[in-house]
Amino acid sequence: MSDKNNTNKSSQIGGATPGPRLTVRRLSKRYGNVQALDEVDFELYPGEVMALLGENGAGKSTLVKILSGLVQPDSGAIEIGGRPAVLFPSTRSQAAGVAVVHQEYSSVPKLTVAENLVLGQKGVSSLWLPRRLNTRARKLLSTVGLEYLNPRTLVEQLSVAEMQLLEIARLLVRDAQILIFDEPTAALADREIERVLAVIKQLSDEGRSVIYVTHRLPEVFRVADRVTVFRNGRSLPTKPTSELDVDAVITMMLGRDLGTMFPARVAHHDELLLDVDGLLATGLSEPVSLSLHCGEIVGLTGQLGSGASAVVQSLAGMLPLQSGRVLLGNDNLLLGSRAAALKRGIAYCTADRKKDGIFSGRPIRENLSSPWVRSVAPNGFISRRLEIERSSEIGSRFAIDVKRLSATVSTLSGGNQQKVAVGKWLGAQPRVMLLEEPTRGVDIGARAEIYQRLRDLCASGVGIIVASSDTSEILGLSDTIATFYRGRMTSIKSHEDWTEDALVREVMHQEAAA
Amino acid sequence: MSQSSEEGKKFSSVFREKIPVVGSLEVLMPYIIIGLAAVAIIVSVTITPSFLTADNIRAILRNASIVGIVAVAMTPVTLSGNFVSLAISQSAMLAMVSYVALLGAGWHQAPAILIVIVGLIIVGVIQGFIVAAGLNPIITTLAAGAIIFGVVSEMTGGWIVLAGENFVAWGSSNVVGIPIQVLIFLVFTVLVTLLMSRTVIGRETMLVGANRATAQIGGISFTRVTVIAFVIFSVGLAIAGVLNGAAFGQATAVSFPALTIDVIAALLVGGTAIQGGQGSPLRSAGGALLISVISNMMVLNDFSSGGRLAVQGGVVVVVVVLLDQLRRRQVMRL
Repeated sequence: MSDKNNTNKSSQIGGATPGPRLTVRRLSKRYGNVQALDEVDFELYPGEVMALLGENGAGKSTLVKILSGLVQPDSGAIEIGGRPAVLFPSTRSQAAGVAVVHQEYSSVPKLTVAENLVLGQKGVSSLWLPRRLNTRARKLLSTVGLEYLNPRTLVEQLSVAEMQLLEIARLLVRDAQILIFDEPTAALADREIERVLAVIKQLSDEGRSVIYVTHRLPEVFRVADRVTVFRNGRSLPTKPTSELDVDAVITMMLGRDLGTMFPARVAHHDELLLDVDGLLATGLSEPVSLSLHCGEIVGLTGQLGSGASAVVQSLAGMLPLQSGRVLLGNDNLLLGSRAAALKRGIAYCTADRKKDGIFSGRPIRENLSSPWVRSVAPNGFISRRLEIERSSEIGSRFAIDVKRLSATVSTLSGGNQQKVAVGKWLGAQPRVMLLEEPTRGVDIGARAEIYQRLRDLCASGVGIIVASSDTSEILGLSDTIATFYRGRMTSIKSHEDWTEDALVREVMHQEAAA
Repeated sequence: MSQSSEEGKKFSSVFREKIPVVGSLEVLMPYIIIGLAAVAIIVSVTITPSFLTADNIRAILRNASIVGIVAVAMTPVTLSGNFVSLAISQSAMLAMVSYVALLGAGWHQAPAILIVIVGLIIVGVIQGFIVAAGLNPIITTLAAGAIIFGVVSEMTGGWIVLAGENFVAWGSSNVVGIPIQVLIFLVFTVLVTLLMSRTVIGRETMLVGANRATAQIGGISFTRVTVIAFVIFSVGLAIAGVLNGAAFGQATAVSFPALTIDVIAALLVGGTAIQGGQGSPLRSAGGALLISVISNMMVLNDFSSGGRLAVQGGVVVVVVVLLDQLRRRQVMRL
């Protein structure tokens, strides 16, 4: 897919660069007591992709907000093309040629692709003649590898990757020269990531400058020419990607080694906890059989739509069971009802915390207590004391500031929100814990925290099933690993029998075979 | 293993996040309402000397009571994410007409009141189940209102229903100088507020309104929450109908003409979020009081009824926009 782009790659990057397109000098921004940005410096050259890395809360989002004109910096200077520039408010930022692709898509689902491509664009007649719109749309779509798409398609029918690419096409209309990608691949499977990365390469080949914000390190080495790391609101000197490797980048981000990212494994009991026999549900093309022991972590991995998450969802009672039998202990488990599964002690942490993992407008304490509030409410009246006690206990285990439990959960960073989404189940004393993409869009510190707590949970005899498209996570965390492809389980082995390479190949390799 | 948990702790101290201190809107909201009411009262007192008389204050509270009781009762419906009912006037009218008609047919007070409450609950539960099954609450209640109005009009033939010789006007009595509606309003507000803030069902109502999908995965039943919210709402409607019936001794199919708009206004001015998950019955009570104060001030200053309605609408718009701006600002600061 990326072959075409590689042919004319780096014709401009290696050449003599006339000078930075964007210069940021000593940029600072303070929110209340928190210094979000502290004299940040970097330069962005024409035709380059610069990766911007850092933990959650390191200042990346603040920088993106400043560059896109949503927030005014307290001090510091921004130059575009060597001239001082003011980017606030966002109309000025746009006029200066800055465009941002956000994590959340701004396309209107109920409108067609062509209509979305004229939304908010100047210089387009407000008379939306379908034929004119569609002709225009085809031209734009081809610039982002979506030429096969019918411009009349409703946006809600597109895949996530296609929406992402459409988003990019919308920015290209404005002829933006500085493109900022804010974790564009967070919700994509490997193959779709490939498409987005190919388009990004192509855009930089055309001479545009790209700032690429991400949590996924492998992508950095695939697209980025240089890397800037933010740590605690400060910027480290920008380095060429060729001088770095994954370990070096992680060390820069953390300021320490990552040896302890994954907790040590503990020998699990032989006691069978969950016996899945011939499970067949929506999203699975072949019956799946696997077993989970007390204290064991079973990792299911595959790309989006592989069936790994379908297994988890049907065990959680979210999908109707078509056939098969699931034994929890000695009891036959009735599937197809979330409430019934919960009653039997099956906790379920979903993939998309904003959608169905947290109550973002409610206090952290209410979020933490939501699955077990009944247990602190004799006679139906909630005991404040018990609720505070138990949620504080969970909060402190997950290093969430317990003094702030009455603040709404939306005031937390993504990583801490995820800790809440996982942690709330601890109080429900589950027998089986199911998780989907447990650390998507979560910084490394919070990830380590979550992994450790999951291990702790195992120590108390709980069995855990994790479905994730992040193979390194599955490899580092699981005792037993099953791979999925297109609705069937392709292999299941102990973690010792897997290497990262083998696992990635197993998940990807099937593509050629199919 | 102990070593690895040591490592975990190290991580946690490194990554413990500094969270910006933000004044929570939830905490501020009641003060905003109280502040607005205070401003309204101060303005009233300065421009209208007759405002601070015992009679007038009693009138304000009595006017606020019926709207307040229903607004408090409807708050759980809104909190649970089921917007508002558009059958408020018709349902309260149904309660009032049936209460008066039962008295007229010779029933005693207690069984008549009981039958009205049970009847209203049945009507409410039916709507609750329909809404829980997935039909839009606006459409459901709009249709329910039309049906109730149609049936009652048919049965009364457009005539005034009278309570007859059985009637005791306890609805206009005072207890220790306080109108009975005001006392019931007070008790009802306290009860529903406690129910929402202290009990499991109240918490579940809030959570379902805040995020229905998350609630479902946490084992909270949307149907249960919705039906119970409609039961509470129906009890409030029944009380309002009975109180007015007991005050006037007669009713028609067009009683409570402006109740729907008044109740929704009180709820919104109180700052309960229309999309659910944020707010409280206490605030709706405050909203009803605020509107009553403003409307009383206008009566004392000889505003026409049209003028009063226009100002009331204006107040709703101003307060809702103000609260919305505050919410936005809060989000921006994060």
